[in-house]
Amino acid sequence: MSKARSDPLHKSDPIYALFFIIPSVFVIVLIAFWPLAQTFYNSLFKSALMFPQNKIFVGLSNYGALWQDPRFVNDLWNTVRFTGWSVSIETVLGILVALMLNKKFKLRGLVRAAVLVPWAIPTVVSSEMWRWMYNDNYGVINSILMSLHIIKQPIVFLAFPATAMPAIISVDVWKTTPFMILLILAGLQMIPDELYEAARIDGANAWQRFWSVTFPMIRPTIGIALIFRSLDAMRVFDIVFIMTKGAANTETLSVYNQWTLFTRGFITPYFGYGSAMSVMIFLIIGVLAIFYVRMMKIRLD
Amino acid sequence: MKRSLILMVVLMAVLVISSFATVTIVMTAGAVGAELQVLQTQIKEFMQQNPGIKVVLMPMPNSTTDRYNLDVTYLSAQMPEPDVLFLDTIDPPAFADFLVNLKPYFTDQELAQFFQGAINNDTYNNRLVAIPWFVDAGILYYRADLLQKYGFQPPTTWDQLIQEAQVISQKEHIQGFVWQGAAYEGLTCDFMEFVHSYGGQILDDNGKVVSDTPQVKTALQTMYDMIYKYKISPVGVTTYQEEDSRHIFQNGDAVFMRNWPYCWPLLQATDSVVRGKVGVEVLPEGTGFPGVHHSATLGGWELAINKYSEHIPEAVKLLKFLTSPQQEAYKAINAGQAPSVLSVFNDPAVIKAVPLFKSLYDVFLNAEPRPKSPIYAQISQVIYDNVNAALTQQETVDQAIAKMTSQLKQLLGQ
Repeated sequence: MSKARSDPLHKSDPIYALFFIIPSVFVIVLIAFWPLAQTFYNSLFKSALMFPQNKIFVGLSNYGALWQDPRFVNDLWNTVRFTGWSVSIETVLGILVALMLNKKFKLRGLVRAAVLVPWAIPTVVSSEMWRWMYNDNYGVINSILMSLHIIKQPIVFLAFPATAMPAIISVDVWKTTPFMILLILAGLQMIPDELYEAARIDGANAWQRFWSVTFPMIRPTIGIALIFRSLDAMRVFDIVFIMTKGAANTETLSVYNQWTLFTRGFITPYFGYGSAMSVMIFLIIGVLAIFYVRMMKIRLD
Repeated sequence: MKRSLILMVVLMAVLVISSFATVTIVMTAGAVGAELQVLQTQIKEFMQQNPGIKVVLMPMPNSTTDRYNLDVTYLSAQMPEPDVLFLDTIDPPAFADFLVNLKPYFTDQELAQFFQGAINNDTYNNRLVAIPWFVDAGILYYRADLLQKYGFQPPTTWDQLIQEAQVISQKEHIQGFVWQGAAYEGLTCDFMEFVHSYGGQILDDNGKVVSDTPQVKTALQTMYDMIYKYKISPVGVTTYQEEDSRHIFQNGDAVFMRNWPYCWPLLQATDSVVRGKVGVEVLPEGTGFPGVHHSATLGGWELAINKYSEHIPEAVKLLKFLTSPQQEAYKAINAGQAPSVLSVFNDPAVIKAVPLFKSLYDVFLNAEPRPKSPIYAQISQVIYDNVNAALTQQETVDQAIAKMTSQLKQLLGQ
């Protein structure tokens, strides 16, 4: 470090660096921080989108009101349920499939590409597709279950709380497991073969090799994948909005937030309340991110 | 001198060019059934008649709830486009402040030609904020061939419908009755029909909440029993919207269907399994209460002009073209949408193509509106959420009605 500093060639580095960073900082401020600040500002008022002139300053009371709102608390719980289940299933499946795809076999390239297909389909399209597959009259899932005589009557997956949330979680698992596979596979390929060789010489069996070599080596990758997926899952909107619109107790925070900002906040003075909800979702996700990063840092150190 | 001459020339050039240049109007449009195709043909004709105006169509999602959300986005952003908005009957009060008052652009004679219930619907605070484009009313579709086969008449009461549907669906191994039970606006329409048909009301004429009555409970209980007691409606009906129920009926998999008139041309299309086997009738009435009657929810779609539009005169031209008797007749014949201009109901070509407009004229005329309120979307959500919760056994019928009543009272400050 000290050598680089005395080197005249690198003297102007910080100035250049500043020069190069400014545009991206500017863009980030413009597209991320400015809307966030605006939303926070809106959340301090009682106002309707349609009557911006009738704003009443209410301080932070919208935030307190959120926790008195049973629908908000219920939807938070739904969102946590969705995130917990989908992310854990995706992680386990992701590790298993990535391990398989890391072995050498014929047509490996083709299989690796094929695995990515669900991830490549836009969520709106895949949600509509799954909605059809779950259909009670013409859906392929009921048709298979009926022809195998597993069920006598078609199951209306999206109508009841007992089946609707699992049905939605399955769609998310189907769609985003490839993302997990991709990240973990990249992690697996970074592990040098020598480590396995050494483990083999020490007489470690496959199970031991996984827990002592593979898993510690891909733990940081899994950590990053977990952050991405959890943060994504906490603000899930599209799948729920298309498949049930929040019926059958599947409403998540983002779906409620959308309704509050649009339907309710357009005419009645709930726009500030909806903005407070947006900020709260941001804070919840932020806390989660810090928690993950902290956990990772401890591991990395 | 020289400078002013140049200025003059430039000004002239601008004027000449701008008179040749075309004005572009953006219009939102529905895409249910055949309506988008029909509209495209109409727009083509309009552009041929008005070479200076170009119309760009912006297809909207099928669900009215999604359309509402999109309109909120456009209007609250105060964008000049879309210029022409396609609004549900329930939307004008909410959007009134963002729409052009059309009264100055239409003469009283012109307005007198329209269906007056719809004109009243589109007038808010003495401003005509939209113009009726087509009217809708919930009607009963039935399989005429199957009813004849088992010697039944089209049902006039819900009890009769249940009995006929039970017999036929068991013998034919098909569904009895499909309707719209998903948690969205369509369920509010269906529920209102049941409530009205039993002589009940959700809000009375003064806007007071009166939903906690035996009539309303019986209405909801009837819907519930159709699914779980009599099993004439599949459990899946609690996830169906209009198109889901039409697919089943058009595939020959149901005896009865509650839907809007747009289904008629599709059911009669050459690729339809039930072509020539379908009859239509007013929806059945309830029994056991004073004031039971046949009820149909007033639906329909309106055309309105965005207040921020930069081409209001051209947009008015388009509105007048689309609501002219010829164009309404064309739309009625090809898209099955009931005209908003009364004279078109007597057009022989229309009667021939869609006989139900003539036979069910009174149904359209007497269709019952939903509450007229700027917060209608929230009122409706309270209704459909609770009704759907009862239909999916998350709440009992009594619980759902009690919850609906207290939530409505809270929402309306009563």
